[in-house]
Amino acid sequence: MIQIQGLRKSFKARGDVIRAVDDVTFEARDGEITGLLGPNGAGKTTTLRMLYTLMSPDEGRVLVDGLDPVVQPGDVRRRLGVLPDARGLYKRLTARENVAYFGRLHGIGEDEIRARTERLNLALGMQEFIDRRTEGFSQGQRTKTAIARALVHDPRNVLLDEPTNGLDVMTTRALRRFLGQLKAEGRCVLFSSHIMQEVAALCDRIVVIALGRVVAQGTPDQLRAQTGRDNLEDAFVQVIGSEEGLFA
Amino acid sequence: MSAWWIVMRKELLDAFRDRRMVMVAFVVMPLAVPLLLAGLGSVGTKRQVEKLEKSLELPVIGAEQAPNRVAWLGTNDVRVVAPPADPDAAVRQQDHEVVLRIDPQFGEDWRAGRPAAIELIYDSSRPMQSGATISRVRALLGGYSQQVGTLRLIARGIHPAVAQPLRIGDRDVATPESRFDLAQQMLPYLLLLLAFIGGMQLAIDATAGERERQSLEPLLATPASREAIISGKILATAAFTLLSVLMTLLMFRVAFALVPMEQAGMSLDVPWDALGRLLLAILPIVLLGATVLTALAAFARSHREAQGYLPLLMFLPMLPTMYLMVSPVKTQLWMLAVPFLGQNQLILRILRDERITAVEWAASLGAGLLLAGLVWWIAARLYHREQLAASG
Repeated sequence: MIQIQGLRKSFKARGDVIRAVDDVTFEARDGEITGLLGPNGAGKTTTLRMLYTLMSPDEGRVLVDGLDPVVQPGDVRRRLGVLPDARGLYKRLTARENVAYFGRLHGIGEDEIRARTERLNLALGMQEFIDRRTEGFSQGQRTKTAIARALVHDPRNVLLDEPTNGLDVMTTRALRRFLGQLKAEGRCVLFSSHIMQEVAALCDRIVVIALGRVVAQGTPDQLRAQTGRDNLEDAFVQVIGSEEGLFA
Repeated sequence: MSAWWIVMRKELLDAFRDRRMVMVAFVVMPLAVPLLLAGLGSVGTKRQVEKLEKSLELPVIGAEQAPNRVAWLGTNDVRVVAPPADPDAAVRQQDHEVVLRIDPQFGEDWRAGRPAAIELIYDSSRPMQSGATISRVRALLGGYSQQVGTLRLIARGIHPAVAQPLRIGDRDVATPESRFDLAQQMLPYLLLLLAFIGGMQLAIDATAGERERQSLEPLLATPASREAIISGKILATAAFTLLSVLMTLLMFRVAFALVPMEQAGMSLDVPWDALGRLLLAILPIVLLGATVLTALAAFARSHREAQGYLPLLMFLPMLPTMYLMVSPVKTQLWMLAVPFLGQNQLILRILRDERITAVEWAASLGAGLLLAGLVWWIAARLYHREQLAASG
């Protein structure tokens, strides 16, 4: 369970203050997939970074299973599995060693790491390359390894920043099935995307962000009802378009 | 398992799989340093030996004024050759090391028993190259002068000892180990340089490289604290460097077994018991280097930027060597507490087999470790900056 209340964050860039996240409030429930939808630069990545304690909010707060990352960063990180936008691997280590390294940093034992890696290996279909060094991996192999690394400690909450970026159709489909599996296991899954179809196909709830603000949220049905459009894509364009109109 | 230990083990595994890094640290550097010094040493030795044993070629101006003297020089392994047209220029251009000029008045003065003038033309600004030759000629002429003077005194019925109120003997107390030499001055510098920046590749790869290949952000999302992560990286760098320094010292044993350094009365051998003391003396510099490199790599935005600081870092270990060349003074306690200067002194004293007191060890190790700790703290601060991972 992830709760975000009145979150704000600004950056200084060459004297200008950029409000990357400007009063964002939403929640992502256990056993559901929540999609954070918004155009590039809307503030999705910054919001996620505050969730996994890489940045601290200027205002507002985040709760992960009722814990505040500012107060208990270690406990929060243990409850989160994070696939950041940056998903670099250690190229001189095998995929399995990459995963085990993160398992150890999460403080879990070698036996459990082996068992968990085996399960993720099957679920993500990594058999072919898991014992190869990651240098020269395809985008799909890299993403699968990064996801396995993010989930090796069996977290209750899973954050994925644009997980399907750069993946081919087959890998994307496999990944969607995998997210469905996580949901079925009762986990809280939160992922960001700028691709409408993906969010529509997967999510129980959608949070639409533009220019650092939440412009609409609810189930796909609620969004259609709010905008009076049958097509989700039209609904998306309408909520974002009207907000942009306000700032123009 | 603590996080720093996990990070350190992973960084070392990663480094040891990098063939280029391993080759440079454990093969190229350990071979290059002793070979460079052995090369310098043996070239110097050979030149000295050759100069003293080879027959000396000596241009003499006005040889016809003193044929007997010139003939006498010939019996002392000196080959008299025709003088150059412009002796001053010839010496300045290093065509000849020394030119002898016999005064036109020489014959007349000699026969009259007056001091007959002989002039040596040489360039004193090149003591390394021609110092030995100059003193050899001087000694020959001095010996001849004294011999003739003695004969003249005896001819006049005076005891030669009358004209020699002092009898000066030489006793050089330098042991082979303490004889100062270019190679020996270079050794501490090269060792300290290796200790200071030998782990550069690893440190930059582990910090700036981790950012560049975008693996830092997921790493920071684990429960491992940033202090633990940076400590693991620093200790991995230090362990790697220490091993490289150890390999280098071991190569010294091999290299100096092959090169006959004793011939020049100089030794750069590293005995087994000195090896441990050398490593201990260098340890603070290894840790200081690992922390400085890691802090710089955390501060720099990229591999390239981090490498840009390299010339500056190479300069630091050079300072004490330069200072000691300008003013080679007796060691004082405060000097041992100055990083690089202290280690430089300790290395030299260990090689000379001089005793180092506990207080001196404490001053050197304490100051070095304190500074390393300070830089560690700065590096940890840098690692806490939000931009560190986010600017990727």
